[in-house]
Amino acid sequence: MLAFEIITPFTVLLCFLGVFIGIIMGAIPGMTATMAIAIFLPLTYVLEMVDSIGLLIGLYVGGISGGLVPAILLNIPGTPSSLCTTFDGYPMTQKGEGEKALKVGITASIIGGFFSLTVLYLFAPFLASVAIDFTSVDKFLIIVFALTIIASISKGSLIGGLFSGVLGIFISLIGRFPDNNEMRLMPPGLEEQLVYGFSLLPVLIGLFAVGQILQEAEEGMKPASHQKLDLKKTEKNKFSLKIFKGQYINTARSSLIGTFVGMLPGVGGSAASITAYSQTKNFSKHPERLGTGEPEGLISSESANNGLIGGALIPLLTLGIPGDSTTAILIGAFLLQGVQVGPLFISSNPDLWSGIVITLVVANIAMFILMFFSIKYFAKIVFIPKYIIFPIIVLMCVVGSYAINSGIMFDVWTLLIFGVLGYIFPKIGVQIPAFLIGFILGMEAEKYFVDSLKGSGGDLTVFFTQGPIAIVLWILILGSLVYAFIDSQKSKKNQAST
Amino acid sequence: MTIAFFTMDISFNEYHLIFPRIIIGALIILAVALLLQKGIQLLKRKEKRPKPFRFFSENYDAKKFYATLVLLVLYPPALSLFGFLPASILFMFLITILYAGQFNKKTIIVSISNSLASSIAVWYVFGQLFDITLP
Repeated sequence: MLAFEIITPFTVLLCFLGVFIGIIMGAIPGMTATMAIAIFLPLTYVLEMVDSIGLLIGLYVGGISGGLVPAILLNIPGTPSSLCTTFDGYPMTQKGEGEKALKVGITASIIGGFFSLTVLYLFAPFLASVAIDFTSVDKFLIIVFALTIIASISKGSLIGGLFSGVLGIFISLIGRFPDNNEMRLMPPGLEEQLVYGFSLLPVLIGLFAVGQILQEAEEGMKPASHQKLDLKKTEKNKFSLKIFKGQYINTARSSLIGTFVGMLPGVGGSAASITAYSQTKNFSKHPERLGTGEPEGLISSESANNGLIGGALIPLLTLGIPGDSTTAILIGAFLLQGVQVGPLFISSNPDLWSGIVITLVVANIAMFILMFFSIKYFAKIVFIPKYIIFPIIVLMCVVGSYAINSGIMFDVWTLLIFGVLGYIFPKIGVQIPAFLIGFILGMEAEKYFVDSLKGSGGDLTVFFTQGPIAIVLWILILGSLVYAFIDSQKSKKNQAST
Repeated sequence: MTIAFFTMDISFNEYHLIFPRIIIGALIILAVALLLQKGIQLLKRKEKRPKPFRFFSENYDAKKFYATLVLLVLYPPALSLFGFLPASILFMFLITILYAGQFNKKTIIVSISNSLASSIAVWYVFGQLFDITLP
């Protein structure tokens, strides 16, 4: 009851506004939920705590959800967490099923959102205590498990996928190692700029957006086939809830994975949808169809990436540890209001805690209403002619890259360097998703690896003898690799026979 | 750093090198494995001459591709030299007209409108309204 007294019509209005702006920003390639929250954070100075949380959570849910629009229509993930949405969403668009794909994604998003919200509300203290009990070895093995997903998504080239992923890790290690403040892997002359390594956002935008623009420029900026299509009400483009028939386990599993991965400090973001997609592939009756325009893959990715929202809030609110870069910015919002997040947050602020949960309910409903019934209008953001939208994307990418660290020109150069790499990589067989996964998880992997060795005095057997969690994780890692190897061999045979 | 059977002597001064060395080793092993894989594939092929590697797609648009690269490389120095608005308006005009592919009245009007509207909108909303640092 108290919570309903806290949530005012103004809070609901701000939440809807946040979702609306978040969807637009998520739908523009190069703009992310993180950036949306970062941009609007200063505005919360003038708002009450719950009102500001309403706006920011609206931006978070809208930003994550809006990422599916360019992922499905342009093959550019609007946000890192919509990476796997491109795998099946874009092929569906190419087949003339764009609207259906968008609505499948939106429906999966709200299911994932409500699933994680329920977990957050009911099990937050328990789940957080499980996650906080993980040792460095467990955390390292979780990341290794996430990295073996590289093998699963490497489409017939296991070694190539692994090479791309390890290359991503290598690039992520450039810079200063925090434990002993020593520099390593520095290109000469760039010591000052690369103290903290390459920033994630310019790397991500460069690889996907600028790389894509260079590819389009090479092909002469011809209108893509899907751009000639309208989101017409054809029979095969029609959305029906029947698509979800037979997908209940997939949806539940992906939402659960999204929530759980989001909850693990530092392993949030795109890892949620990648892990869920990989497991969907493992359990699918027709794994060979995934990546060719199957709603199954789309459901997996979208339910997982909205699932991570509730999950990422668990360590944030109960431990004060952000689950991903977006929740890291949310800590700033709490600090601005003088509220300390951590183990005592829920017991000290029961009204605010309930307010956050209800705001999340409102944000998910707002996202569904706005997107499901207005998707044609949101989709138009990405249907503007290429020669108009692509220059705007470059402009936004440059502004976003420059602003992300409050004005560093080297981040713009990072954007361009990785843009060129994003163009070259596919031509020489380096797989961008695998590279990116390695880049995102590399630093964390190193931290937990070194911490594990420090804890064991250099004894490498610690990675195998730490306890039951480590053993389960090793089984999962080996299972994932064996599956990937078998899948790789099958793909080769299929290619040879066609 | 020395490695014995299942133990590793590590010192504080070398913490930063442990993981990079392992990763470089893994990269070398995977690169060799890739080369071997390619070699075996070539040997298995019946044709004596493998298809030559083609970097650019057939009939690629050299003008748009290289002009994009040049504009992208010139844009950051132009931002530092002229400031956000003049550099962005010029960049946006040139890149829009390049991608439009034709130099006529319609494309010039579209390019000018696009460059002015987007540059000023970004400058106002980000720079003025939200006080975001612009290049």
